[in-house]
Amino acid sequence: MDLKPSPERRILFDTLTKYFENEYKLADRNTAAHSELGYSKEAWEGMRDLGILESLIDPQLDGFGGSPLDITTVFEALGRGLVVEPFLESGLISTKILSNGNENQKKLVGKLLKSEVLPTFCHSENDTDYRKSYVQTKLSPKEDGNFEITGKKVMIKNAVGASHLIITSRSSRDYDDQEGITIACIPSNRTGVTIKSFSSIDGGRVSDISLENVTVLKEEIVSETGKGYRIISEAIDFGILAICSEALGIMEKIKELTLEYLKTRKQFGVPIGKFQALQHRMAQLLVEIEQARSAVVNATINFFDLEERGRTISAAKFSIGKIGMLVAEESIQLHGGMGMTWEYDLGHYAKRLVLIDHEFGDEDFHLQNYIALQ
Amino acid sequence: MDLNFTEQQQNFQKEVRIFLAENLDQEVSQKVKNGISISKSESDDWHTKLNSKGWLSGSWPKQFGGQEWGVVEKFIFEEECGKSGAPRIVPFGVGMLAPVLMKFGSKKQRDHWLPRMLSGEDWWCQGYSEPGSGSDLASLKTSAIRDNDFYIVNGQKTWTTFAQYANMIFCLVRTSREGKPQEGISFLLIDMASPGVEVRPIITLDGSHEVNEIFFSDVKVPLENLVGEENKGWTYAKYLLTHERTGNANVAISKRKIKKLRKLATDTQKNGVALVKDPLFASRLAQIEINLQNLEITNLRTLSSVENGEAPGAESSIIKILGSEIEQDIDNLTRKSLGKRAFINEPDAFSVGYNGPEIEPQAAATASGKYFNHRKKSIYAGSNEIQKNIISKMMLNL
Repeated sequence: MDLKPSPERRILFDTLTKYFENEYKLADRNTAAHSELGYSKEAWEGMRDLGILESLIDPQLDGFGGSPLDITTVFEALGRGLVVEPFLESGLISTKILSNGNENQKKLVGKLLKSEVLPTFCHSENDTDYRKSYVQTKLSPKEDGNFEITGKKVMIKNAVGASHLIITSRSSRDYDDQEGITIACIPSNRTGVTIKSFSSIDGGRVSDISLENVTVLKEEIVSETGKGYRIISEAIDFGILAICSEALGIMEKIKELTLEYLKTRKQFGVPIGKFQALQHRMAQLLVEIEQARSAVVNATINFFDLEERGRTISAAKFSIGKIGMLVAEESIQLHGGMGMTWEYDLGHYAKRLVLIDHEFGDEDFHLQNYIALQ
Repeated sequence: MDLNFTEQQQNFQKEVRIFLAENLDQEVSQKVKNGISISKSESDDWHTKLNSKGWLSGSWPKQFGGQEWGVVEKFIFEEECGKSGAPRIVPFGVGMLAPVLMKFGSKKQRDHWLPRMLSGEDWWCQGYSEPGSGSDLASLKTSAIRDNDFYIVNGQKTWTTFAQYANMIFCLVRTSREGKPQEGISFLLIDMASPGVEVRPIITLDGSHEVNEIFFSDVKVPLENLVGEENKGWTYAKYLLTHERTGNANVAISKRKIKKLRKLATDTQKNGVALVKDPLFASRLAQIEINLQNLEITNLRTLSSVENGEAPGAESSIIKILGSEIEQDIDNLTRKSLGKRAFINEPDAFSVGYNGPEIEPQAAATASGKYFNHRKKSIYAGSNEIQKNIISKMMLNL
């Protein structure tokens, strides 16, 4: 029995953490995060040169990682650094999906590693909570053997600046059936694609994408028509594991910031950390963060157990959602007015932590899913 | 990362399962599973069976007749016992006093007292808390004054679990009023049959008798019953408390209780639908299950770092807080799930001589009583507030 990361992964984590501390200043990050693109292309390429992307990608596809443990290690470090560059939707989820594609689609992964392309994942829609199988966007066959897509995708990350869109659509069955979902990967400048982007509270850009009679060539279908669910389901589960680890990294960072504050801020002539009311709240946070970490460990070690994966992934995302909000709210409270400022780091971490609950299913969604899987 | 046991550990797990299947009395395990206190003779009987296998002292070093179990073996043993409804080993002797004697006692004390713990000749209880000294244990006042070959002990201890069964008590007593309160405490072994020792029961709010008050009036205790050095007792007490707090996760026991609760809620109808299908109930149950699953991993992570040579620190405080709160959550939801039938309080319903009306569902007989009784879990062994103080000091450095 050994529940610690291996020495190699420890080194990877420490290397990344040090890199972000030295090279990725929060002020610069914030400027980039609230720019038109939503991140810094320069920072993205710097991180690419460091090999972070390769560590998320299977060896069969020019990477040297891609396992659940690689992913949790890297994303915890990305969380600590509050990295806003497109690792989740583009670096991880898109590459997991493309690995199921044809040779040209697999080649896109290699091009991503050279920053020649940037695919992003376009799945979520209105009128649902976070159900993976909920797809109304329609895929219809055309007479020439190709297809066209019509529909609307919402709150898509990194669509600004993306070269390719990986779009889920329905070729048959009802709107929330697992059968009948088709994945297509098309250039983002295809006629009929309209992207409206908004500033995101946690940094970056989110976009609503309308698709009107957008042509999809038959070789742009990933895998087979109607058989996309299994592929996106696994890719999203990888995404949940990643985002949960990102949350852990954020929580550890918040814990450090808050502890530092409790030790230095003085009121009534003593550091406020001397007050038991605050000590107990901080101790409770520590206890909860340990539980959150255990939930992620449990999901990681059960990832390839198909019976356990759904349950442990939902248990992890539920735990992260619930504990994440607690950590965000409590740390702001413990910082007093300082926690409310734009200038200080804490608030930016807290915003990302809370918004993680809104991606791939919140605490309630995953609790219901957990119950349904009993 | 690897959650699997080694082959040796797996074999041990099988051995424990076989032993439990062959040796555990069904009536006793039914009582344990229903949360009923077992009698002294039932407890003694179980200790004897374990001792003949060498497992009463499983965690002891080999030189004292133990098996030198590692943390994982201890975990496996407790896990299997918890699953099968085996009585818990009464910890005061073998789990708490023994490590203190091994580390700080004289050879004569070890040779005398350790074998008697295993044979069942001595039943130990713990004399720590006093009416004015609970969380602030170091303020204790029970005095021991030297008089030739004896200490003369005067004072009062309280919350003493199973003192009604015990023939021996280990006590923290004040031997000096100089310096800091911690510096005047000594660790004494006292024969409960000594003149001047009086035990009075404390009946807890659920009507059960587990704890007692003990009064000491001019009790003569031989000097040879002092453990270690005079006025160094606080060090020994703290050492003992770290032993008390490990193994408080109770994961296996909580898992067994959750399973029982799920069965109860499956069999209980609410307006024509099984209670377990009620969304609000299902949500409460699932949240406890997830929290317990997380605790199981938190506990294993702690064990795995101890196994790999790291010292257990305030992690045992994290486990104590979580373990006690989760058990309380389960007891709470069990009581709620019974609805109106939660009024019933028939603790004897599981005893052989019970001749009252049949109780349906059976769990109703004791559920509310256990709920109230288990409020103690966040109070004893260092209240959960004290555990947070420890975390603040040791882990957060506040």
